[in-house]
Amino acid sequence: MAVGEAVTKKRKSKVAPWTQALERVPWWALILILIGVYISYSILNSETYHDTFLFLSEGVKTTILLTVVSFAIALVVGLITGFGRISDNIIVYNIATFYVEVVRGIPLLIQLLYVAFVVVPLAVQGLNAAGSFLVNLGPAGFLAFVGEPLANVNIQNVNMLYRAIFGLALGYGAYEAEVFRAGIESIERGQMEAARSLGMSYWQAMRYVILPQAIRRVLPPLGNDFVAMLKDSSLVSALAVRELTQLAKLNRARTFRSFETYNTAVFLYLAMTLVLSIGVKVLERRMSGGK
Amino acid sequence: MNGESVVQITNVHKTFDNVVRALRGVSAHVLRGEVLVVIGPSGSGKSTLLRCVNGLEKVDSGQVVIDGTDITAPKVNINKVRAEIGIVFQQFNLFPHLTALENVTLAQKVVRKRSKEEAEEVTRELLEKVGIPEKADNYPSQLSGGQQQRVAIARAMAMNPKVMLFDEPTSALDPEMIAEVLDVMLDLAKEGMTMMVVSHEMGFARAAADRIIFMDEGRIVEEGTSSKFFENPDHQRTKKFLSKILH
Ligand SMILES: Nc1ncnc2c1ncn2[C@@H]1O[C@H](COP(=O)(O)OP(=O)(O)O)[C@@H](O)[C@H]1O
Ligand SMILES: [Mg+2]
Repeated sequence: MAVGEAVTKKRKSKVAPWTQALERVPWWALILILIGVYISYSILNSETYHDTFLFLSEGVKTTILLTVVSFAIALVVGLITGFGRISDNIIVYNIATFYVEVVRGIPLLIQLLYVAFVVVPLAVQGLNAAGSFLVNLGPAGFLAFVGEPLANVNIQNVNMLYRAIFGLALGYGAYEAEVFRAGIESIERGQMEAARSLGMSYWQAMRYVILPQAIRRVLPPLGNDFVAMLKDSSLVSALAVRELTQLAKLNRARTFRSFETYNTAVFLYLAMTLVLSIGVKVLERRMSGGK
Repeated sequence: MNGESVVQITNVHKTFDNVVRALRGVSAHVLRGEVLVVIGPSGSGKSTLLRCVNGLEKVDSGQVVIDGTDITAPKVNINKVRAEIGIVFQQFNLFPHLTALENVTLAQKVVRKRSKEEAEEVTRELLEKVGIPEKADNYPSQLSGGQQQRVAIARAMAMNPKVMLFDEPTSALDPEMIAEVLDVMLDLAKEGMTMMVVSHEMGFARAAADRIIFMDEGRIVEEGTSSKFFENPDHQRTKKFLSKILH
């Protein structure tokens, strides 16, 4: 015992100053930066990397577009569903809860496939039927004018990108709904009561009193989900949408250069998520600083 | 005082969760320009009664009429009625994301549809009146409890209510801040504001109350003018309660 103690003490006192300093260095970040520098350098100087980078950068654009549009829609869906989850109207409440529970209970990949190959085709059939119905109502100009295009929507023409956006938005909408619900419910009851007793309607109180406070609280989880969606958007490669992951797969098949291809893909994803995370942090700080 | 009731409560019952009988047939009224003080032990139903008066709680049975409008009727526009009733809560319930000025202007703009300029003018006058004109641009978290409660009073007054309800407005305050809030309430009473005040501040009751109601277990046990109430209450329970809170 005593000897052991003496030994540890000795080691500590002798070696401590620079090992402690070494322990404090964020090695993981340094290594990451080095890899980043290596890949950036390769992109500029190696033919293979350069070629891969050019091929994948189209996918970066699609990934960003896909994520931004899907997340924006998911926020709207989430906010509306979140209101449904706290609604006193049992029909509204049950519809919202059904959606949230179903979506949260199945894998995102299955949701994407289901939306793309079941929901959208069914919706198109519905549109066709509605269109034909309008056309058949009579030769009258306006009805036919609206009905014709609806009747002629072809499932082949519904771009996979749109189906992917729809799928991602529906998948994430359920999670954002729970984020909004929790945020709204975290505002103490007295706030709603004070607003209502001044004569505001429920929606006025929501708009001017509850939501401005709730938004501040839900910003961090929303930010996390945004980054998570950027990563999950790789799943839509299963729909052959030409986003980053899909183009990486294509590039590998084209060049058989797995190492360079996936290094570049990883590099691009990391660059995007890092930039996004920092952006989210800055936004959070700005919002909480404004009081 | 012209003898007409601004608040008319008739045989109101209210039960929570099927078992807690918070109000068991309460009838009361407040005349225009009158100050009615409600006292009673904790849990006797005072808050519930006030909340029934502005519809924050729905009565199970009975009737509440505010200045001629039956707010317990099925199709009443409760928002419209509430705009005419100010309420001040024990916990202030100021909007923490808004400055004192914005707290007071919000409902004026949203509900009363006043212009920004008009609302701010009304607000500055009211903040002057409650004694904190210099705090207009402060957030609630930067104000003391007494200052917050005075902003809350200004916020309610800004709607030009026909009646003001107060639910133990000073009981969450540090002792040294109680007077500043009571002074504001006394001023309102002197100006002829119709008020229904739940409070155990007997100094205020003596100075401002036209009548006092004593509640216990969801019922009104005794009602009387403030002098009669303090000097010669009829009921044993009232005497016991008064002796407790007076010392
Ligand atoms: N929202 C509620 N749900 C259940 N019980 C309640 C609720 N509000 C009040 N009560 C009960 O009703 C009774 C009267 O409460 P309250 O009106 O707050 O009394 P007071 O204000 O006189 O202290 C108490 O027993 C209280 O627990
Ligand atoms: Mg109470």
